[in-house]
Order: sequence, then structure tokens, then C-alpha cells
Amino acid sequence: MQKKLILIFGLVLALFVFCRLSYAQGDGFVAKASCEPQGTLIIFHAGSLTIPFARMEKEFEARYPKIDIQREASGSQKAARKISELKKPCDIIASADYKVIDKLLIPNFAEFNIRFATNQMVLCYTDTSKYGNEITPHNWFEILLKKDIIWGHSDPNLDPCGYRSLMVLQLAEEHYKKPGLYERLLANRPQENIRPKSVELISLLQTGNMDYAWEYLSVAVQHGLKYIILPDEINLRDYRYDDRYAKAVVKVTGKQPGTFMDMKGRSITYGVTMVKNSPNHAGAVAFLKFMLDSQGGLKILQEMGQPPFLPSRVPNEKMKQSLPKELHSVVGVKK
Amino acid sequence: MKKEPFFWVTISCGFVIMAFILLPLIEMMTAPSFSILKETIKDKDVIRSIWLSIYSAGSAALISFLLGTPLAYLLARSDFQGKRLVESIIDLPIVIPHPVVGIAILSVAGKGHWLGKVFSELGIRIMGSVTGIIIVLTFVGLPFYINAAKSGFESISPRLEKVSRSLGASMVSTFFRITLPLAWRSMLVGIIMCSARAISEFGAVVIVAYHPMIAPVMIYERFEAYGLKYSQPVAVWLVSICLVLFLILRILTLRRPRET
Amino acid sequence: MIRIENLTIHLPGFNLRDINLTIDENEFFVLMGPTGAGKTVLIEAIAGLIPVAGGRIFIGNNDVSKLSPEKRDVSIVYQDYALFPHLTVQENITYGLHFHKIDRSEAEKRLACIIEILNLSHLQKRLPANLSGGEKQRVSLARALIVKPKILLLDEPLAALDPGFREELRHMIKRLHRNSNITFLMVTHDFAEALSLADQSAVMDKGRIEQAGSIEDIFQRPDSTFVADFVGMKNLFAARFRGTRAIIKKLEVELGRQPKNSNGYIAIRPEDIVLSEEALSSSMRNSFPGTVTRVFDLGFYYEVHIEVRNVIFKSLITKSSLFELKIIEGADIFLSFKSTAIHNF
Repeated sequence: MQKKLILIFGLVLALFVFCRLSYAQGDGFVAKASCEPQGTLIIFHAGSLTIPFARMEKEFEARYPKIDIQREASGSQKAARKISELKKPCDIIASADYKVIDKLLIPNFAEFNIRFATNQMVLCYTDTSKYGNEITPHNWFEILLKKDIIWGHSDPNLDPCGYRSLMVLQLAEEHYKKPGLYERLLANRPQENIRPKSVELISLLQTGNMDYAWEYLSVAVQHGLKYIILPDEINLRDYRYDDRYAKAVVKVTGKQPGTFMDMKGRSITYGVTMVKNSPNHAGAVAFLKFMLDSQGGLKILQEMGQPPFLPSRVPNEKMKQSLPKELHSVVGVKK
Repeated sequence: MKKEPFFWVTISCGFVIMAFILLPLIEMMTAPSFSILKETIKDKDVIRSIWLSIYSAGSAALISFLLGTPLAYLLARSDFQGKRLVESIIDLPIVIPHPVVGIAILSVAGKGHWLGKVFSELGIRIMGSVTGIIIVLTFVGLPFYINAAKSGFESISPRLEKVSRSLGASMVSTFFRITLPLAWRSMLVGIIMCSARAISEFGAVVIVAYHPMIAPVMIYERFEAYGLKYSQPVAVWLVSICLVLFLILRILTLRRPRET
Repeated sequence: MIRIENLTIHLPGFNLRDINLTIDENEFFVLMGPTGAGKTVLIEAIAGLIPVAGGRIFIGNNDVSKLSPEKRDVSIVYQDYALFPHLTVQENITYGLHFHKIDRSEAEKRLACIIEILNLSHLQKRLPANLSGGEKQRVSLARALIVKPKILLLDEPLAALDPGFREELRHMIKRLHRNSNITFLMVTHDFAEALSLADQSAVMDKGRIEQAGSIEDIFQRPDSTFVADFVGMKNLFAARFRGTRAIIKKLEVELGRQPKNSNGYIAIRPEDIVLSEEALSSSMRNSFPGTVTRVFDLGFYYEVHIEVRNVIFKSLITKSSLFELKIIEGADIFLSFKSTAIHNF
């Protein structure tokens, strides 16, 4: 009887150790590059990438069952500060504005910056929105000036969608030749209508707590919202209008509290990078390879209404050389 | 006389619990330097935020007191079909996870819901407003007030009220001359509990109203954006001010607890 | 003065059914019955403190069934005194005056008067917590009487008091009743109280009135086995009646009157059974030899069980009588009782 107990106890102990070893937590455990991706993979990404990345997570985990992806969605600047200020562990960060990675993470926390997708700004609304059946691409700014509606955008200090919304408004003043329009619009948008993450605005729209909100086209499509398509001169979609877009400037908080930086208008370009000295380097490389594959992550983006760059790109050869070699096949060079 | 093991066990548990509560709090309260604390309290946003917290929690407690007292009295005095159900419903806000409370209130407050439509027509704004914050805080604080007041009423013998009525006093007179003077301490404890609960609420408020910012939301926002150093001072001020307020309230009103 | 017609009350777990009762003006009425019979429910209903499901209550000539308690002029005194703990004795007593629109001078007069009658002048500024049981009960009475109610309800007012105080307060209650024209309705378990205070009485059981009538009728002439048993007529026997005799098993007892029924019960109070060593030559028509079967020590009295031809009689005698008669279990003894002491129904 005694021997049986010892045997059972030993088996249980061995099973426990085996499980523990194979389900390795990311802290300090680095998988060898030649092994299958495993462990925990931490990804911070922009709120607007939530739905495409959820699908990518599913497909990647289906391919590599040993890996567990943990995603945190937030405004991109907030995500960057989680890494730079709070030193939160993270393997990959995908931003709605690649410039955020350049300004806040390179060179101390990241070495490269891969641009992988575009987007455009639209004005979203629902069935319950006031004046919803009157609004058109030509009168939208008049509707937004009305006193009895509630419209908003995300926090420019935390989320690129926030400062991009403001840029659209500045460009609109220029484009429609209505001096003072920007200030008048801001006057009709009290601080209570700002939320940290643009995706939060969706629930406000859907419950009827907000009439109009500024969002990316991909997000509007993914959530089935009604939207107004704006002229390319102001919707930040087309890189050919970059000179025009550059006329819009928004001041946002900088690296440290009390400092500020200027964000200049530019066509919406999403960027992704690996965090230096991240917990799961091998897993991160494997995920990026999948994500940037034209039949992998980029295809998912396409299907979800967010046009990707095919292939994804870095600005120069030097940066391409700094990429892990596994990624050389999926990344191109374009200024 | 030698103390038995039972005695030592109770004392040890007591120490463990005191340490468990005090260690993290002492750490947090002593972390920021005096200069940072001075700077923080001069920040207009911080002052506004703490004041909003106090004001909205106080309003929630007042509303709970006015609306909850009649119901607490009814539950204490009468027995009816479905009383247990009503009592369980009153306790629901305690059980529901805080973000769920916020989402639920938001869903009713918007134009997608008939009640929200009514509010919109009346020009009442709930999302992102002080009204909305007070509604959320009342929602989470009500059960604390009602249960305390109910206990207080239950502890008063109904015979006192019966005698009062037989002597010629109406129900209302009886309530104000007999019931209230005997139950006011329990009601006050209820108000204190309700306010305490309200002032510390975060998860439900942040969904309904990010701006205007109550203190817990500001603390969280600063922590998320810039870390401990930036958020701790606000936390210290909020905790200190709350402690002082509650201490004053308790001292003023709860002397001589032996008097029934 | 109080007339109750077909009163029905439904409470969770208890019902009062079809109560009919009449109490005359200025009467002292005592309500008795076992615990849970519904006595408190009935008096609280008269006061209007309990909702009524059916029937009517009249006070004087007015139907007060739908009248709220504060309008009925009915005061109530509870067993636990129910004094307002946050008010002084004086404030307790004068509480009701606020609602009766009494002017200042009249109020002061009444206060002085009631305080004197109930001997409370030295206690006026005290709080109830600092009073003895007897003092509390006097304050409770003062509070109830100062508003000059039409009816005073008393729910076992003396039960919580020390036996020494009980008698004193009992006399006080009797005096209060005699010196006022208020109808008193009192609930009690104490037979001595009932017998000394009551004019009329009723016995309740399980939400119904079993018997109502004068206090003597109830104690001497119960008309049901329940009431007979309740009032302590411990010698209760089923009997057949033939002529003026009652036959219990094989024992024949002379009643001195002819009952209307041929089958029924006879009941004799244990105090009315006289024990003697030899047969008594007296006017007692019933005298039998018997054997002592059991003796119970009840403190001040002894209860002796005697068997006479298979019928067990219970007698109550003093300690000294016990020794004098040399009563022990198994002893032979004679027992006798008058025919007038027998109650048949």
C-alpha cells in the first residue's frame, strides 16, 4: 500500500513538473530560434486594430498551439508610454501612426519601424443620431456646429485617431474656405465628449449617447456603422496629398508630463515593431512573419476594410538590414 | 492564568489583518515627497477632480437617504409576498461587476433606449456629465444605505410606534417623533457607508463619464500615462481628505454608542 | 360600549375567526386564554393597530372598523411597558397631549393630577432606562390615562413585575378603574388577578372565543371541557345523567338538580373536595371512601389524587392538613363534596 502511494505521488509530481516546463511563462524564458514558437507573446496595438488582430491571434494560435498571445489595445501613444515610461513587458507594438514609434520608441526601445497599412478618417453615425437623414459629405460641418447634437473624438494625447480628427477639421477649414471653422467646431465639442480610446466612441454611438464620432473607415466597417466619406484632400487617406495634409498641426503631450510635441498631418500609415530585449524574441519574429505575409495578416486586414501595403515597407536599406533575417522576405523598401 | 491557544490564534489573525491593510497604504502614503504633494494640490485639475468626487458622492448619499428611507422602513416593518425578492434586488448593485454597472446605465441613458430618448428630449445629459456620475454613484451606494437604515428601523420595537399612534399621533408624526430619533444613528452610518462606497467607485464611472474626471479616474489616467510618480500624490491627497472627512463625521455623531 | 361583530383577522400563520363580543361601558373586562389564543391580536385590533379582514368594531355607537388608531381614543399598556427611551418620564407622560389639542393650563393640571395618583413626582426628569419595573409600569399607565381615553387596553401589564409589586399595582389598577369612567380591557394569565379585578370575562382559544360571561360563571360554571380545564376544574368527568344523579363509570354522584341532557360532563374544583379520616356527618350529599394514589407537592399546597371506584379525584389541601390527616400514598381516606360544588354541562 505504501509503495503504491509513493508511485502515484511520484507520477503526479512528474506530471506537474512536465506541464510546468512545457507551459513556460515568458518571464526570462527565451525559446531557441529553431524551436516552434511557444510561450506568451505580448502585443500592444492600436484600438482600431482590435478586430483584425483578434482574428490574427486566432489563426496564429491555431497554427502554433504552444503559443499564447496576450493583446492590449489602447491609444498608440499610451501604448508607447506603457513601454517607455512604465516599462511594461511587451514583445510587439503596432501603432495607428508609425510616427509614434519613431518619436517615442526609437532608438531606445525599438530598432526598426515597418509600415504595413493605411486607413482614412470618416464621420460615423447611427440610426439614432440627430439629423442623421440630412447629413451629406457637403454639409457635415454645419451639422457638427448645431448646438443640440453630441459629437466627439478620442483624446489627441493618447490616441492618433484623436489628433487626426483634429487635423481633418483644420484641413476642412482650408478646403471649404470657411475661416474660423476649426475654432467654432471645437467650441461645440466640450471635453466631456472626448474618450481615451476611439473605439469607446463606438459604444456611445450604438447606445445613442453620442450622435457623431470620428473614426477610421476600417473601424466603421467592422462595426457596421453609417459613415460619411470625405474628400481625399482632407481625409488623410492619400499619400499624394501629404503636402496638403502637412498644413494641419496639433500639439500633444510629449515624452514626459509637462512637455509637448507637434504632430504634423500626414496620410494615415500604420507601423509595427518589435520591442528591444522583449521577453519572447523568437515568438515575436514568428508572429511578424505571419502578420506581414500577403496571405496571412495582411490578407486579414484587406478583408476587414483596411488596405495594407503589399508588401509592407521600411524607408531605407539600412533599416531593412537591421530587421531579423526571417522578415527580409516580407518587407520591402520604399521611402 | 495561562492564555489558551484559541486566544493566541485570534490575536495573530488580528495582527495579520492589520498588517495586510496598513502596509500597502502606508507605503503609498509615504512614497511622494512633500514638494510633490504641494505641487499636486496646487494643480487646478486635481482640486477640481477631488472636489467633484466629494460633491458627487455626497449627492449620491443624499439621494439614497431621501429615496431609500421610506423603502427601508417598509422592509423593516412589513411582510409581503415577494419581500425576499425585493431585498435581493436591492443587493444586486453590490454583486454586479462595476464596469457592467457602467455599461448597463450607459445603455439606458442613450437615445437607443426609450428612457434615454425621454432624457434627451428633456435636455438632460447623462454620458460625460455630473448627472451621469451621480446616477452611477447612487446606483452603487443605495444598497449600503438601505440595509443600514433597515437594520436601524428593525431594532426599534414596533410597540413604541403602536403606543404612539394609540396616543393620537399619525403615522407621520410617529415617524418623526419616535422612529427617527431612535434610528438616526443607523441612518447616519448608512449615509457614511454609502458615501464611502461612492467616493471610491471607479469602474462604473469611467465608462459613463471619463470627463468630467472624478479623482479615481484621474489617478488611473495619470498612472496609465506616466506611472506611479505622477499618480501617487493625487491618491495621497484623495485618501487624506476622505479620511479626515469620515473621521470628523464619525466623531461628531457616533459618541456614546451604548445609547439605543 | 365595545361591540365586536363577526370580526375576522388574517395574519401570517394565525387567524381570528368570527369574534363576537360585547363589553359594557365602564366595565372591567378580562380576556384569558392559553398563549397563542389571539388575545393580543384582538386587543390590538380594537385599538386599530392591526388590519381587519372582515366584521365590524363599534366603540360607543360608532363603527370604528375603518378608523385609524390615532382617532379612536383607545390607549394601550403593554407588558414590556414600551416607554419611549429617548424621552424623560415627564415627556413620555405628556406625549399624547400634543395630539389632543389640550391647552397649556389643562395639560399642566392633568399632569400634576396623574403624577400624584401614581406617585411619580420624584421621577419626572429621569430616563426610562433608570427606572425599576414597577416605576416603568406606573409611567406607562400615566401616559395612557392622561389623554382620558374611552377605553384602556392592558396586555398582561403585571406579568413582568416582581410578585411583591404585582399586588400593589393590581390594587392601583382597581382604584384607577373605579375613579374613572374608562372601560378597562385586560389580558391576563393570572387567575387571582382575573378574579379580583374583573366584572366580566371571556376565554379564548385558537382564535375563537370559547366562553364569555361574568367571572364567576367562567370559573364556577364553564360550559366546555376546554374552559373547565383551563380554569382549573381539575375534576372533569364524562357522565350519564339519570334523574338528579350523575353516573361516572360505576360511581353515582348526587347533583341535587335534574340536568336537561342525558349525557355530558361534571366538573368539581379541587378546592371543593374535602378530605377526612372518617366519613363526615354533614350536609354534604356526596361522601365516599377512597385510596390515596399520589401526592404532589406544589409548594404552598399539596395536590392529592384519590381513587374512588376507579375514578380519580384531585383535591387541594394545605400542608398542615396533610400531616393532620396522615395522608400518604396508599392510605385510606374519605372524600366529600357538596352537590352545589358540582358543575354539570
